[in-house]
Amino acid sequence: MEIAYYPGCSLHSSSALYDLQTRLVLKKLGINLNEISDWNCCGATSAGKIDDFLAVIMPARNLGIADASGFPEMVIPCSACYSKTLMAQKHLENDLDLKNKINAEFSKKVTGSIKISSILEVLLANLNELTGQANKKLIGLKPVCYYGCMLTRFPYDLPVPDNVENPKGMETILKTLDANPIDWSYKTDCCGASASVNDEEMAFSLMSKIMQDALARGANCFVVTCPMCQLNMDAYQDKFCEKHGIDKRLPVFFITECVGLALGMGIKELQIDRHFIDGEGLLKELDIV
Amino acid sequence: MTSTVLEFNSEIAGLFGKEVMERSGQNLYACYQCKRCASGCPAGEDAEYVTPDRLIRNIIMGDREKALNNLLVWKCVSCYTCGTRCPNNIHSSRITETLKKMSKESHLKPLRPKVFFFHDTFIKNSLRWGRVNELEFMGLFEIMNTLNVLKKRVVKPIIDEIINQAKFGLSMVKKKRLHPGFQASKGRHEIRRLYKKENKKWK
Ligand code: SF4
Ligand code: SF4
Repeated sequence: MEIAYYPGCSLHSSSALYDLQTRLVLKKLGINLNEISDWNCCGATSAGKIDDFLAVIMPARNLGIADASGFPEMVIPCSACYSKTLMAQKHLENDLDLKNKINAEFSKKVTGSIKISSILEVLLANLNELTGQANKKLIGLKPVCYYGCMLTRFPYDLPVPDNVENPKGMETILKTLDANPIDWSYKTDCCGASASVNDEEMAFSLMSKIMQDALARGANCFVVTCPMCQLNMDAYQDKFCEKHGIDKRLPVFFITECVGLALGMGIKELQIDRHFIDGEGLLKELDIV
Repeated sequence: MTSTVLEFNSEIAGLFGKEVMERSGQNLYACYQCKRCASGCPAGEDAEYVTPDRLIRNIIMGDREKALNNLLVWKCVSCYTCGTRCPNNIHSSRITETLKKMSKESHLKPLRPKVFFFHDTFIKNSLRWGRVNELEFMGLFEIMNTLNVLKKRVVKPIIDEIINQAKFGLSMVKKKRLHPGFQASKGRHEIRRLYKKENKKWK
């Protein structure tokens, strides 16, 4: 199967490992990713706070390129890019005037035809293929699945492919791989996003609450889909734990890492060694690698 | 004793409320102050309990000063929890986003300058190259902060911040999470052209 792919800035820089894993894992499942040409930054969560017009036209240009690519579907693994692109598509469906203005200027026209998918939607649609090919059981892995804000909540009328307050997509995937995901209360709570840089105290307090619930439930790791959540919970874990008196640490895995491991890929191949909080120890202890 | 009346000033209350509603796309008259938004808001406690319901109330009452100049406007993390839970589907994140822009247009100093510099520098960087280059972006962001703190003529917080960020940057390098590589998109010209053509103002 051939689908379009929008990596976004973070998958081309600090979360390049997520880009690599997504390509590896989906290829193994028979899905070829076609990175759309000359894509631009979607504006992330910043554009809407600075200028409403930019918040639509930045993702709109990518939508035009995607529509023109002819693929029926485009996967966007980053939650922020996914959310902003989906919202721009919805906005332009309702605002024909703006859509015409955009199409008059941009070389690739927005038609609204392409389906925007999250990484979970693509993995869930290929669950049979995945269970068929999985040759390593994730027995002993007790993750709390952390979805964050932008995968299920939108300030627009949009159909959401999972439960808004209690999504289960990640649990479904991990259960078929023989992991034992644990129920908890902070699935869709906010990690603070960019507040880790511009409002450290608040972000650290939000993240420590998420951490405390995960530990209280007996989890041995986090599993995430959002590169911002991953970087925050991973890179700042020592700092926010120290500040809030938490002794234990938990590795923060991308869903693509769990799937890759189940498909027989190794630590180096998946670049799991680029985490701040060591995940290798746990995976060895559980005999997964 | 005096008998007092809370008189309605349509000019003040009406115009301000109308502008916020039009720009945010949210119908604030639907709010019946049930505070479901407040109970799930991760920023409320930190924003000295200016929760979304309070903010909406201030707007409807026409209290421009309170509505534009409060911590929730700058602490809201756009998590969309309030809107998802509101029985009337009011999305307060779109209100705080609107108020950030309105407070800037009114030349008010942001209560949390760091938050403003972050988003402003992010968008400038992404328009400059078409894609965000994290190293340049973070560098410029830190410079903006330092200049702002310098105005207060205290050096200690600047040194602390530099040491803090240098340590973090080093750990990013060690984990190969900081890319010295450069990325750009030619599409930036298309975006800038359309922006100019539509006569949009943003400095
Ligand atoms: S949840 Fe909605 S109706 Fe209730 S106070 Fe908040 S904004 Fe108003
Ligand atoms: S979007 Fe903002 S106001 Fe609403 S719950 Fe989240 S932090 Fe609070």
